[in-house]
Amino acid sequence: MSSATVVDPRCLLGCESCGLVSACEPIDDPGVVQQCPRCGHVLRSTKPEALQRTWACVLAAAVLYVPANALPVMVTTSALQHDEHTLLGGIHELWIDGSWGLAVIVFIASIAVPVLKIATLGLLAWTVRYKPHWRRLERARLYRLVETVGHWSMLDVYVVVLLAATVRFGSLASVNAGIGLLSFAAVVVLTMLATWSFDPRMIWRDAPADARHA
Amino acid sequence: MARVERSLIVCDECGLAHRRQPLGHGAVARCTRCDAVIERSHRLSMDGLLALTVAAAAAYLVAVNTPLLTLSLRGPTESASLIDAIAVAWQDGEPLIAAVAALTALIAPAAFVALRLYVLFPLSAGIKPPGFAWCVRMLHQADRWNMVEVFTVGVLLSLVRLAGLADSTPGPGLFALGALTVLFASIQSAGLKHFWWYVQ
Repeated sequence: MSSATVVDPRCLLGCESCGLVSACEPIDDPGVVQQCPRCGHVLRSTKPEALQRTWACVLAAAVLYVPANALPVMVTTSALQHDEHTLLGGIHELWIDGSWGLAVIVFIASIAVPVLKIATLGLLAWTVRYKPHWRRLERARLYRLVETVGHWSMLDVYVVVLLAATVRFGSLASVNAGIGLLSFAAVVVLTMLATWSFDPRMIWRDAPADARHA
Repeated sequence: MARVERSLIVCDECGLAHRRQPLGHGAVARCTRCDAVIERSHRLSMDGLLALTVAAAAAYLVAVNTPLLTLSLRGPTESASLIDAIAVAWQDGEPLIAAVAALTALIAPAAFVALRLYVLFPLSAGIKPPGFAWCVRMLHQADRWNMVEVFTVGVLLSLVRLAGLADSTPGPGLFALGALTVLFASIQSAGLKHFWWYVQ
């Protein structure tokens, strides 16, 4: 690991697309946005309406999380019976079948990750306004973690889609997606959108360059 | 025109400016304030990257068009490729689920490969392709939405869940998906900003 020397804080904007650093331009017209002189990507010191967008997506995800868990995500039909499976029910079945490892994987992807994501993004958005100085480095790391593991929740959506496509033997055996799956997919997409609308630079607003050691 | 500071790097995650320093082979520079990665000296040459991308294109075509898993239930067999799975979801009255699956497992990986090929072939000949800046921006989006690795685990999980129900066997598509996951990870480790180093 090589550490770079810190330059005294000035108004500089790094292009997120090509990495070129430009100095801030004083802009009189609020409708005009500064663009990267090399690649034309929009340069902003913060993402627009970051907190509002994050809150909107987090709250929508939290609301949809209820039907995602209460309603069946998968419906199985066989010659003898017609079963509806919820997210937790599916994990319970894996567990009693003896597939503990799989049950744990699905539990982490479908239950733990969405809940922790909603809670973490809520915490990050709340602390930006009310506890701006509190544990900045830990919050930045938390954000990076949410960004990295977030899309793994899509696992259950793929499994149901694949099972529905292979188990197609009419009345003998068939699998269909339940209505809960749509809410669950919406929760996953909304938490991803919330992650991208949040701006981690808000965590470091007004922080000195050596804030890490403070 | 704004003043440009070529000797500096600004951390994408906290906005702190750092003086650019030469990095050793395979070294990683981290932000001194928030610990985010600000620069990576990638091990791959452009030709190496191009070779991996061509391999990924081949793996993608196999992964999408051949069966991922085959199921037989005392006689009748049913097999599904990625395209079949999305088509079935669409026909079963789940167009939104089909759209999400198509975006994350079919379209984003296709853009991931196609845009890189479009950019890398001319660059390796020393030519900047038309629409280069737009392509790099779109690649950032494609990398974001690409979930091939999650889909691969999803296929494995389906295979295990079906094993208790009937006779299920993995198809060639699953092996191609596994290869694609590894190729994508190594291609992505090079990052996207370095494309601009070649067009100065």
